[in-house]
Order: sequence, then C-alpha cells, then structure tokens
Amino acid sequence: MASELFNASGGAMLNKSYKYRWLIAELVLRDLRLRYRKSVLGFAWTLLNPLLFMTIYTLVFSVYLRIAIPHYALFLLCGLIPYNWLSTALSLGATAVVDGRMYVGKTLFPIEALLIVPVLSTGLNFALSLPMLFALAYAMHVHLGLALIALLPVIAIEWLIIQALVILFATFNVFYRDVQQIVVYFVTILLYISPILYTREMVPRRFGFLITWNPLAPLVTSYQDILYRGLWPDQHALIFAAIFGIVLFGVAYRVFVHYAESFTQYL
Amino acid sequence: MRDAIRVLNLTKRFRFAAVPKRATVKDLVIRTIRLERGLSVVDALNDVSFSIEPGSMLGVIGRNGSGKTTLMRILAGILRPDVGEVRVEGAITPLLALGAGFHPDLTGRENARIQLLSLGLSRTHVNAFMDDVISFSEIGEFADAPLHTYSSGMMMRLAFSVAVCIDPDVLLVDEVLSVGDEAFATKCLTFIAGFRERGKTVVLVTHDLEELAKWCDVAMWLDEGTVAAFGDPQAVITAYRAGRAG
Repeated sequence: MASELFNASGGAMLNKSYKYRWLIAELVLRDLRLRYRKSVLGFAWTLLNPLLFMTIYTLVFSVYLRIAIPHYALFLLCGLIPYNWLSTALSLGATAVVDGRMYVGKTLFPIEALLIVPVLSTGLNFALSLPMLFALAYAMHVHLGLALIALLPVIAIEWLIIQALVILFATFNVFYRDVQQIVVYFVTILLYISPILYTREMVPRRFGFLITWNPLAPLVTSYQDILYRGLWPDQHALIFAAIFGIVLFGVAYRVFVHYAESFTQYL
Repeated sequence: MRDAIRVLNLTKRFRFAAVPKRATVKDLVIRTIRLERGLSVVDALNDVSFSIEPGSMLGVIGRNGSGKTTLMRILAGILRPDVGEVRVEGAITPLLALGAGFHPDLTGRENARIQLLSLGLSRTHVNAFMDDVISFSEIGEFADAPLHTYSSGMMMRLAFSVAVCIDPDVLLVDEVLSVGDEAFATKCLTFIAGFRERGKTVVLVTHDLEELAKWCDVAMWLDEGTVAAFGDPQAVITAYRAGRAG
C-alpha cells in the first residue's frame, strides 16, 4: 500500500522535476548566490554554523556536564550537520509558497518547483559540508571503509522526509501563517529529542518511545555509525525510516494537490 | 479543420470558506464545535460551450465577476474544470494579470528568464530568446533594473514580449494591454494580426468595446458564468449594450 501511494505521488513529482529541471537548476543557483551575496565569509558560513554549535555544546555537555562520549566534538558534528539540512530546509521551505505568491495561480509556473528548490539548495550546502566531516573523521582515526556507500541511502531517505515535511508545512502555511512560527519550535524540539547531543543508549527506557517513533533518530544514528563508529548502519532502523518517508511523502503530495487550487484565494 | 479551442459543458465551482480569511483560534474552535462545514459554493462558470477555429481572435466581454478570468485560467490549464471538457490545440501562453510571475526584487532580464524557464524551456533556448525579448519590449536599460522600479506600462511590455517570443499557438490576454501607451498597444495588436495570419489563435478579455469591434472576428458575452451571446462581434456588442441597459 505504501508503494502504491508513493508511485502515484512520487511519479507526478518526478515528472514535474524532470520537465522543469532547467527552471529548478536556475532557482537553486539563484538561491545560493543570493544567500552569499554581500557576505565576506560566503559559503564558509555553512561550515561555521555547525562548528560554532559543536564548540558550545562540547563546552556545556562534555566539559561542564561531563557526558561520557569519547571524541564528543566529532560525535556532535555527525548529527548536527544532517540536522542543519533539515532545519534550514524547513524554515526556508515553510514560506516557499507564500514567498512565491507572484507565481501562483496566474501563470503556468509549477508550484512544485517552489517546494523542491529550498530542499535542494540547502541539500547542496549539506553535501558541500560533508568533506569537512570526512576529513575530521579521518583525522580522528575512524575506520572509513566500504560502509561509506551506506551514506547514499541514508541521505536519500533524509531528503525524502525533508521534502515531505516542506510540502506539508508550505501548504498549510498558505492558510495559517502560524505554521511558519510552529516550524521554529518543531525543529528545536527535534534537535533535543533526537540522539544528536547524546547516544540512544543514554535515553531511559520509559522515554524510549521518543527514539523508537522518531524517524530522525535512525538517520542520525546511521550518520554516527558510518562516520563516528566506523560501522555499517542498522538496516532495520533505516527500513523503518524509509517506509515512514515514503508514506509521509505520499500523504504530503496528496494534501498539496488537494489544496493547491485554493491557494490563490489565500495569498 | 480542427478547432483551436473547444469547450464543452464547462462548469467550474469555487468553494469559499464562510469563516473570515483571518480566522482566530476562537473562530476555529467555535466553528468546529458547531460542526459548521462553512463552505458556500459559487458557480463561476456554468455549462459553458463554444469553439473557435485556428487563426481567429475571440474577444470576451462581461461584467466584473462574470467568470472571464476563471475561463482564461481554465483555458491556460492553471485551473481544472469540475465538469465538462476543454481542448486547446498546441502551446499556450497566458498573459493574465499585470506583474503575474514577476518577482519585484529581480531585474527584468532575470524575471524574463524565469518566466521562459517556467514554460519548460531549456537554458539554451532561453538564452537564444533573451535578446529578442528585451529588444521587442523596448525597455532599454531598465532590463537590468529591479522590477519594482518599473511602471505598469513597462511591466506589460516585458510580459507581452516574453509571451510572444516563444511563438505559441494560442495566446491568452486578460486586459493587460490596456495599461500600455497607445504606441505599444498598437505594436501589440499589429503583432497579433500577423500572428493570426500564421494560423495562430488569440483570446482577449477586454472592456473596450471599440477595440473588440476593431480587432476581434468573434465575440462572447459572459454573464454570471453563462454564455449570454456568442458570434459576430457587432451582434454581441449590441446584445451586451441592450442587456446592460435592461
């Protein structure tokens, strides 16, 4: 059933993405150019953001609170960098349709492109900060072997979940602008309930459901397994995340198609 | 010959939420408790049928709210009909609202690029079209100024140039021509005349009955979502004037 749901919506989205690939490429590049225009450090900000938080969290959790995770800084980065993709994509994506209102309802401009672009442009930033993570892992003598291949499905599943969330948030934000406020809290809560600052083993059993039912948890753990522990990620957890992503995407795209025609009345 | 546009029993309904657009949480809670579905249905178009041949120019008239814009959006493929069939042969470019598809912070050139790309063209094609678009629009050095510095006339010039440069088969124009100066409006209409000679089709929404009589070879009067008159422009104008008076 999950695959049926995905075939219909995933197919429609892929068709549009292919048909309008030139438009999407242009908008992604413009997005990146605008973000770094008139900024001295430019792209370096993408690397500085997780490094800054890594430093402050290391100070608080490793030095002050004496959390017992070796190479805590690297551990943090393995979670913070993928988390950053999600949080920047969601905060940009939630307002995508509202910000692009001049394209909605009066032209043939595909609204799907507005939803795809923020996920891709932040994803490109994410991809560009991965080499730094590889270099740090290598410097810390993490065994980086064939398991690196497993990053590809992990990234694909994360992309799917982020895209689905962006479609949902951007759609509902047209009707209730509260959504763009809620997103801020949503991503903050997600940071603290996902095993980014601590390992999943440290979570008391009675709060275990927060990890079990959090689709970001297996993704973060997989990044840590590959780049921090030098292991293959846990397949079962990843399969759960993949199924979650597929179903969420199918639902999100249907919700979007259902409401897209009434966007113009609310923009 | 195959009809350029064929519309059969087209009906389009809009469902409006009865709650105000700026609903507060209180409104929503009350609405939920009372189990109000709160949707009022309006028939924007009701059982509309017509067809036109390639090379013709259809002028659509009618009061505000008579369904002209909805019809144009459906012909363009932006909205889907609830009932009925709509067939348009070939590539369509819509020119439906002033400033539609233009981002105020981007330059004219950047906006033109994005509009062309949003029609599904490749980067190579778009690059090839750009010089023609800018020179036809006669906006000169404003091409590289942000769009919020444009007058409405300049916006219309740019939009028209983008719409015609890709040489569509059907051009949909909703009133926007009226904002340009006379010289450019004449340039547009002369262009449209040549365009029709090549077998291309135009649908024009207008309030200017003189323009309609002068340029269109077929006319339609839409009244409250239904076709009140269709056919020879003079006859439709006469019916429209009589209907409006009575």
